This record gives sequence, C-alpha cells and structure tokens, in this order.
Amino acid sequence: MAKVAYYPGCALKDRSSHLDRSARDAAVRLGFELDELETWTCCGAVPPVSEERVMNLIASSRILKSVRDSGRDTLVTICDFCYNTLKRVNYRIRNDEVARRRVNSYLAEEAPQRDYIEKDDSPWNDYLGEVRVLHLMEYLRDVVGYDGIAKGVVRSFKGVRIAPYYGCVMLRPHKEIQLDNPENPSIIEGFVEALGAEVVRYPYRTECCGSYLSVSSPDTSTRLCYRILTSAQQHGAQAMVMSCPLCFHNLDTRQKAISEAYPDFRPIPVFYFSQLLSLALGVGVEDQGFEKHYVDVTPVLEMIRDGSGRVDTE
Amino acid sequence: MKRIGVFVCHCGINIADTVDVKRVAEEASRMPGVVFARDYIYMCSDPGQALVRETISQEKLDGVIIAACSPSLHESTFRAAAQEVGLNPWQVEIANIREQCSWVHTDRKKATDKAIRIVSTMVEKTLLNESLSPIPVRITKRALVIGGGIAGIQAALDIADSGHEVILVEKDSSIGGHMAQLSETFPTLDCSQCILTPKMVAAGKHRNIRLMTYSEVEEVSGYVGNFNVRIRRKAPFVDWSVCTGCGLCMEKCPAKVPSEFDRGLSTHGAIYVPFPQAVPNKPVIDRDSCIYFRTGKCRLCEKVCEIGAIRFEQEDEIIEEEVGAIVAAPGYDTLPVTELKEYGSGEVPDVIDGLAFERLLSASGPTGGEVRRPSDGKVPKEVVFVQCAGSRDPERYKPYCSKICCMYTTKHALLYKHRVHDGQPYIFYIDIRTGGKGYEEFYHRAEQEEGIIYLRGKVAKIFQDGDKTVVWGTDTLSGRNVEIEADLVVLATAVVSRDSTGELVKKLRIQTGPNGFLSEAHPKLRPVESINSGFFIAGAAQGPKDIPETVAQASGAACKVISLFSRDHLEQDPAIAWVDEELCGGCRICVSVCPYDAREFDEERGIATVNEALCEGCGSCVAACACGATQQRNLSDSQIRRMVTASLGGE
Repeated sequence: MAKVAYYPGCALKDRSSHLDRSARDAAVRLGFELDELETWTCCGAVPPVSEERVMNLIASSRILKSVRDSGRDTLVTICDFCYNTLKRVNYRIRNDEVARRRVNSYLAEEAPQRDYIEKDDSPWNDYLGEVRVLHLMEYLRDVVGYDGIAKGVVRSFKGVRIAPYYGCVMLRPHKEIQLDNPENPSIIEGFVEALGAEVVRYPYRTECCGSYLSVSSPDTSTRLCYRILTSAQQHGAQAMVMSCPLCFHNLDTRQKAISEAYPDFRPIPVFYFSQLLSLALGVGVEDQGFEKHYVDVTPVLEMIRDGSGRVDTE
Repeated sequence: MKRIGVFVCHCGINIADTVDVKRVAEEASRMPGVVFARDYIYMCSDPGQALVRETISQEKLDGVIIAACSPSLHESTFRAAAQEVGLNPWQVEIANIREQCSWVHTDRKKATDKAIRIVSTMVEKTLLNESLSPIPVRITKRALVIGGGIAGIQAALDIADSGHEVILVEKDSSIGGHMAQLSETFPTLDCSQCILTPKMVAAGKHRNIRLMTYSEVEEVSGYVGNFNVRIRRKAPFVDWSVCTGCGLCMEKCPAKVPSEFDRGLSTHGAIYVPFPQAVPNKPVIDRDSCIYFRTGKCRLCEKVCEIGAIRFEQEDEIIEEEVGAIVAAPGYDTLPVTELKEYGSGEVPDVIDGLAFERLLSASGPTGGEVRRPSDGKVPKEVVFVQCAGSRDPERYKPYCSKICCMYTTKHALLYKHRVHDGQPYIFYIDIRTGGKGYEEFYHRAEQEEGIIYLRGKVAKIFQDGDKTVVWGTDTLSGRNVEIEADLVVLATAVVSRDSTGELVKKLRIQTGPNGFLSEAHPKLRPVESINSGFFIAGAAQGPKDIPETVAQASGAACKVISLFSRDHLEQDPAIAWVDEELCGGCRICVSVCPYDAREFDEERGIATVNEALCEGCGSCVAACACGATQQRNLSDSQIRRMVTASLGGE
C-alpha cells in the first residue's frame, strides 16, 4: 500500500483523536496509508508566521527538512492550523533568502544531535522548501480525485443536506496557501457531492467562528457560532462538515453555551470530513469517536443507508 | 591640423563648485589643434551660444567642444548654433563634465584632472571627425488609426480634416466603442449616443477616411514615415458592397446569441449588427453561433435576402498598406464580475457591472430605458452601488484608481432616482474623487438634493438570499457594519487594459507599463507619443480616463501626426554604421547581431550592407565585425583608439 508522509499535530493526538483515526481508516479504504513521521514536534500553531522572527520558523522547518531528508517529497496534514503553519513556513523558506539562510544555519548546528535525521553519505544540504505540503482535503481532491472517492462509497448519503464550513486558516492567505479561492471556495462542496450528499449553500461558510476568542472572549465566539449555525439551518442544513479542530470545538462543544444564550437555537450535528468519508467507505459507526461529540449525531446517521438498509447506530 | 575651440561651462555652481573650470580651459588651450579655449558661466544661455557662434567665425574654427552637461540635453542646441554660422554640426562635440564628473565627485583637484581628461578625449575624437549631412527619409503621408472608439474616431477625423488620408481599423463590425453603450454622460447628462453618432457618421462619410471595421492589424514592419501594415479583414459572410442594411436577415435568424453590446442582457441572431446606429450599418455572421456553420443546415438568411448579399463562402482577406504614422487607440475593458469572488463570482444574477447598468438606463437598451433587474424583470427598489470593485486593491486586484467610477456611479444613482422615484440608492465608496470641471458640483447635487445615501467603506461580501441580493459592508464613519437586502447591486469594476492590447503592442513595438496600459514617451511632457518614433497613443488604453480627456488626448495625437506630415522628408542621423566593401568577407555576423533589422546581406555581391533608414547607430555590428569592414561614422577604430589613450592620460 502506498505510504504518504503524515504529520498529525497535537490536537489530533488528544482532543481530536477521532479526526486522526477516521482519516487513517478512510485512507486505508482508499488504498494509501497515512504514514506518521517517526519523530515530530509542535508546528508552532500559526503564531510563527504571524511575526517576522526567523527563530519562529525553526520548528516547522525541522519537520519539513526531516521529510525531505527521508527521501519523500510530500507531507500530508489534516489540522487546518498545522497545514497553514507548515505551508506558510515552507513558502517563506522558498521565497525569503535571508530567512532560508538563517534557519538552515540553526538546523546545521543541531543536526548531529538529532537522531531522526537518517544517516546517509550525502553531505549536509540546506532545506530549500522542496517538500510539498498538502491538506488531506487537497490530497483527496488532486491525488485520489473525487471520482476515486465516489467509486469507494458503499453507504449512501443521498438526501442528507450537509453545510460545508471553511473557517479562516484553511484558505488564507491565498497568495501563500493557494488551496482554493478564499472568497468563493468549492473544495468541501466537491467533497460532499462525491459522497452523494446534498450541498447546502449559505453565506456564513467562510465567516469566523471566533477561533481562540473561545478562550479570552467566549461570548463573542458564542455569538459568531450562533450566526453560522443558524444561517446553515435556515438554508436547510441537517449537518455541518469541516476539517479544523478549533472550528469543530467552537461549532460543536459551544452549542451548549449557544443553547443557553439563544432560546430559539436548535442543535445541529457537526462532523469532521474524515468521519463522513470513513462512514461512506464502510468503516463502522463505533470507530468514529462520536462519543467525543457534544451534539448527538444519531439523527444524521439514521439517514445514511447501506446495501442492507439502515446503518446500525447502536 | 584642425582649428578647435573649447568652451567650458560653469553651469552656475553645478560644475564650477567641484571643477576648476579656469584650469580646464587653460589646459585645453595646450591640447593638439586647440586654438581657442575659455570658460563661461552658462554656455547654453543666449549670450553663451552667441559666444560660440562669434568665436567660430572670428577664429575660423572647424571643430568645437562644449565641456558641459550630458549630450542628451544640449548637443542639439550647440550643433544648431554652429550650423547657423556655417560649421558642420557633426564637428561639434560635447564633453560631459557634469553628470559624469562634477555631480559625482567631491574632491576638487581630482575632479578637475578628470574633467581635463574628458575634454582631451573629445579633442582627439574631434580631430578626426568628418563633416556629415543628415540622411533624408521620405514620408508616406497616410495615417493608420487602430481602434474605432471615441479616441480613434476623434484622431481620425482631425488627421483627415488636415487633408491627409487615414485608415481607421476597428475589430468590431461597427465603430463607436464603449461610448456607444453609455446612456447619459456626466456631469452634463448629455445623451451619449446623441453626441457620438454624428461623429461616427462623419468618420464613416469622410472622403479622407477609409473605414476598415471587422478588421485587425496583423503585422507592422518598417519605421517612422515608412510603415508597412498587414490588416486582416475578417469575413463578415455578407457582401457589404451590395447589402442595403434592411435588417430582414437579422429578424429571421433563428439563433440566439447573448449581445456583447448589451452586456448579455439581451440576445441577437447569429447575423447581426451590434446596435441600430452602427456605422457601417452592415451585418456580420458570427461563425461560432451560426446554425449553418455549426450543423450545415439553415441558410435562412440567404433565402430571405432579396438582393443576395449573403456569402457563406467568404474568407478573411489580408490587405497591405503603407502608412507614415500609427495612432494606437485600442480602448479598455472592465474587470469581469466573475473575477470578484467575494461579490458572487458573477453567479448572482442581480449583481451587474456599470456598463450593464448603462444599458439598463439607455433608451435604446434591452429594457427601453426602464430600470428592470436581470433575474425577474422587477423594478428594483433598493440598489447598492459598489465603487472600487477591483480598483485600489494592490494585494488582490488592481492597485490603481480607475478614475471614472466616482463620477459614473454618482450619475448612475442619480439617473436611477430619476427613473424610480421611490427607490433608494446606496453608494459604498473609499473616497469620492471629483477632479474635473463641474464634477464636484454634480456630486454635491446628488448627495444633497437627490437623496442618495453615501456610505464610506468597503463591501465585504455579496450573496443571493431568495430574491434578495444581500450586501455586507462597513460604514467607517459611524464605525458600524451594514447589511442591506438589495434588489440590485451595481459594481463599479476596475478599468483594465484589454488582453488584445497585449497582443497588439507586440506587433507595434509600443511599450506597456506594469498594469498593461500603453506607455507614453514622457509622463508629463510627451503624453501622446510612444518612445518609438512614428507611434502615437490615445484613449483609455493608456490609462483610465473620461470622455473629455480621451478626446483631448486623441486630438493631441492627431496634431503630432499632422506635424510629422507637415515635413517634406525626415532626417536621419548620419553617424551610423557603414561598410568598407573591399574588406567585407560576407560572414553575416552583423546581420545576426543587429537589433533593428538594419543589416542586410546582398546575395549578388556577397557582402553585407546597411539600411540607413533603419540603423540607429548602436555600434553592435561594428564591434562584432571580425575584419573591420563595418565602421561607425565619426567613431572609427582609430578615433576610439586615440580617445582611449587620451582618457588614460597617455600621449
């Protein structure tokens, strides 16, 4: 089975382990393995690229270099924050000569102590941004192809109305990310269609969920998430789909606070794209980590059918 | 030996502060051939030039050196002065001791020594200078105007009125351009068609104008005064010489094609004229949408045409013409709404651009001048106008101001209000720019008397929600976000250079700037000329501009053409390459290095020659010539050798 270098990041090892697991299961069903890097560190989670300091680029550069040095040219990641950070650091290394030289001089100094750098006879060489950083969504769209997904679907999502949610860092800044148009994206819509579900179009799909304000100003985040979810519902959504762990946290767990603040609010199930994918490809309901969800997903699961009829939701 | 005079300029303090000009003159007086040397405070002034003239006569000078500023500034000044008193202009040389000496040095002694060497270098050159005379080049007094919008029409009319022949080439089947699409014009609210059509008709009927519509320039070769142009006349599949323009074919054609002229708000047949006032009023068949061309069946137009003007077998025709000057007025486009993703990517039916709104306002437009929105034909009660849609946005779209939008949006809102009295127009703007006669007053009238709501801020997002088009924006003056459930949204999309302009400039040797607009030779002092002589520019292809400015620029370009044509012949600088035919071995290396196509190989005689009209005197072939057969006049090998020796301080 084809192996693809895979960087999970911190969230997928803890709070969002169900995102990690469902993605790995789905990948296997599609014929490739998400091959986790042997050793990895924190990517830096966005702050590194928000300021000029070169020192902040080291962690991501070290990860990317280790991929290159192991002879691979592609790194897949799933968390939107990891994707944003790794891709932008890579962009900086490719395009900013001063940063590239300084980062590499640090990496050269620490090189002998690092055991994850595979020993070979080639002399030390600078990391120049050779690795291609791909979001798993991007890998599905461009390498597997939506047709490839559709071929593997064994459970029908026909008639399920799903609202894609993009958040912020998956698509921005466009110049560096180049995944999809940030103002009018279509990557998740294409994915939802490949599963056979119905896409819900609503205006708030690229609006902010509040991100880290969830910690410092939870009321703001509650208000923003309320707008997003109710807009999707008004346009007919029965479920939300996304890839970002922080968006997921805000749009799922926060529904408790939303219900308290807005009496008219009706909860709506929230999914990671990988859960819908692995369900569609035939992975068991019990392997999706739905126990980690705040909002009960059963109403949606009841609409999904396989060859023998209704999916077992027990 | 020659009798040479050296004149050292102080240029006020520009030279004299750093260079000891008196010492330069004194040293110059001891140089070979120099019989006269002195300094003067401003050589280029009238008394300075008089001094040069008088000295030439009195001292019987046959060589003159002016030690002053760059030759690009005053070489022609002093050569003209010398010519007045009978000295051949090519015996006058400039020693540049300002830009190349006093301005770049601080040490007075060293700068003075360097200035002396520069003068000495030019003395060595002048000693061997030949007297030359300019090469006369004939002028074909016929102009080519590319583009039949208001700019091209105006330029063609002005040149034609001066008695010269003009070929006016337009890619569409009718002249008129964007101005023909407009409803009324700011700030006077004249009907655009009413003021344009008389000019279109005049251009169509002028005895000195040859109209070539539905045609494109394929290739331009030659040089100022002597261009050869190849023009492709696209096949209209109608014999225009017999067609009466009765319109029966257009009525009967069963195909439906979105009208480009009406910005897709109406349809016409595959055989069509773009608008009723077209000049010439002759139809063309759009091959891509014609049912006969697509399926081999139909030919209905042919059946209904009583005089038999339809010609399905017609082919494009290539016409070759000689012209002496070319005016490029290829026009502009607006940024397609599909590019603006946050404004719905062109997928929201009631988000249209300014030109489409012009068609809705126009009495001859698809709605007969009633404002009805595209989606369902309802009269919109709330209309949002968004300025700077793609302009002044260096990160994502165009960095520049499109200049005309503040005024036309104000006009749009005002005309809308005049048509729909209970309607509410909103205008989102960054700044209101009203630089023009009567423009600020027009804006004040709209803002204070017409009930138009101006909101200072940008629009973030536009999307469709049911039959409403929702606009999210911000009002930076109150600091609040604004949401408007509009019935229609009009985007003032950025004025952009046409893709076809990019193709055209490659053929014309005209330069373009970073945003694809045509470059003028000097942004202030030569606004209608291209840097390549013989090419002139006009209209919004040079940058966003309104009608009065376009017309003024077009007349300016025409005036430059007329002034060129007022001469009997052009004069070419004779200080160019020449070939010693005895020495030429026929290796043709000169032909391969020449950037101006001026070197040609004479197959019969087996030697390379110089086309004097094309040679710019760059010296590439002189340097490349292996056997020394190619030489440059007044820059011979022996001159260069002596100049190098002098510049190194040698004897």
